[in-house]
Amino acid sequence: MATDAPPAAPSREYKLTELMAICAARELKDREIAFIGTGLPMLGGMLAKATHAPNCIMVFESGVVDARPKRTPLSIGDACLVPGSVMLGGLLEVFGLLMQPGHVDVGFIGAAQIDRFGNINTTCIGDYARPKVRLPGSGGGNDIGSLAKRTIIMMKQDAKKFVEKVDYLTTPGYIDGPGGRERAGLPRGGPSAVITDLGLYRFDPETKEMILDTTHPGVTVDEIRANVSWEIRVPPRVRTTKAPTKRELRILRTKLDPEGIFLGG
Amino acid sequence: MAEPEVHDKLLPLPEAVRKFVPDGCGLRTCGIGMRKPMAFTYEVIRQRKKDLNLLLSGWTEDADLFIGCGSVGRLEGSYLGLEAFGLAYGYRRAMEKGIPRSIQIEEYSNFSMTMRFLAGAMGLPFMPVKSMLGSDLMKVEAFRHPKATVLEDPFGSGERVALVPACTPDLSVLHAQRCDEDGNTQVWGQLGDDVWGTLAGRRILVIVEEIVPSKVIRKDPNRTVVPGFRVDGIVHAPFGAHPYQVQGYYDVDVAFRKEYAERSVTLESWQAWVDEWIYGLDGHEADLRKLGEGRLARLRAKREMSGQVNYGY
Repeated sequence: MATDAPPAAPSREYKLTELMAICAARELKDREIAFIGTGLPMLGGMLAKATHAPNCIMVFESGVVDARPKRTPLSIGDACLVPGSVMLGGLLEVFGLLMQPGHVDVGFIGAAQIDRFGNINTTCIGDYARPKVRLPGSGGGNDIGSLAKRTIIMMKQDAKKFVEKVDYLTTPGYIDGPGGRERAGLPRGGPSAVITDLGLYRFDPETKEMILDTTHPGVTVDEIRANVSWEIRVPPRVRTTKAPTKRELRILRTKLDPEGIFLGG
Repeated sequence: MAEPEVHDKLLPLPEAVRKFVPDGCGLRTCGIGMRKPMAFTYEVIRQRKKDLNLLLSGWTEDADLFIGCGSVGRLEGSYLGLEAFGLAYGYRRAMEKGIPRSIQIEEYSNFSMTMRFLAGAMGLPFMPVKSMLGSDLMKVEAFRHPKATVLEDPFGSGERVALVPACTPDLSVLHAQRCDEDGNTQVWGQLGDDVWGTLAGRRILVIVEEIVPSKVIRKDPNRTVVPGFRVDGIVHAPFGAHPYQVQGYYDVDVAFRKEYAERSVTLESWQAWVDEWIYGLDGHEADLRKLGEGRLARLRAKREMSGQVNYGY
């Protein structure tokens, strides 16, 4: 994750990875069912539970429902997710019985590339047959993006990642715009927010196009534009992302990732 | 029908690999982020098996090693990476540069792979799923034609589903906590895809931390995931999933996984790792001796016992 401070913010008192985890937490509402992967989304989920959303239920794809891990899990299959959870099954239970019929409110996914309609690539950079960089593939990403009521995308941002057209469409966003998901036969959902190391984005309910919502403290709109390869829609007055509170930072640093595994050392 | 010679199921690991893994085998292993049959993986590589067709959703170091060592012809799955530890460089070298050979991969989503194994386990030719629709996973094919197709509900709801073909491995390998000598096998903790994925196999090999008396299994039958009559071979390999976790037995060896991730970045240092930990050792016992008792003792699981339930009536 990028921890280098851009020149406009010489004295930030937190890392951008911390701000991203905090933005993720703020997207969750109390009592929501959240489908969580490892890394920053998990820190976000745990932070939400420790602050404004104590009754949020975290579901993990290897089969755990309402995990309450006592340490930072390294994998979706981490055994530390098991003790204290309310139910254990496997992918069939979590994807098939909870997510496919529409019982999961929100899912988090990462991305290597994204386009204006929130379509995601986690498969390859360059030509599929002989890629420049071969990435891990869908994993559960396509399932989350297809089946959750809404998805939140977390990724690093630059113009090579915010692209006109993804090299491979691993996980559908709004596909080709309004009605795209319905035409494909998807039951519901679509991306509701994109959290990057530069800002926070949402989607126009009519055009399904990504719109800048807030810039992180110290980031300018020009920097945002320079790091998106299409003409990103920017509202007339752009607000700044609310900086982390002392309490949010304390919980993240002392309780959720004290070793800096996902936040960075 | 139950096989009569149950006592013949128990085999040493090298013999089990010779018996159950021919070149070209359609091989499903197990574990998504835990309970990976790594001792088995190393032994398959030592025996220099060729042209394997790997079948699993969540591949990590296991497939990275198989591919890097030239054992793989095809792979069907949905993820190949080292989770929190980064990208899989053996896989990258094969896909980006054809080193040591080109492989073909057919990609699905995790849940689509679940449904493919479930179809295989249930004796059905395919299963419907609501994932994959509208994505390149539906369109880009390697060697399955079609790899998936769309069906409109024949009962008139107007809903559309993706159909994905059954996956029936020649051999499913399950790393489990324990079984009895008939192969009645129990797993606890996260199950991943391992119940239906194992049962989809034409043959089943279980690798266990412990072999227990049958009465232990029969005291808690809800925990059994594979009945012994479906099991063709049993290998007893304590710590056989190292550096992965086995719930109730040992924890992840973070330093080991980190070291692999670092050393796999260049071909030379990856080759040195493989020589050190696979070709340079003559089997699982040698592997454990090299790890050392102190290291293994530190990984052993703490006690966190379940409650008990009354099975009485």
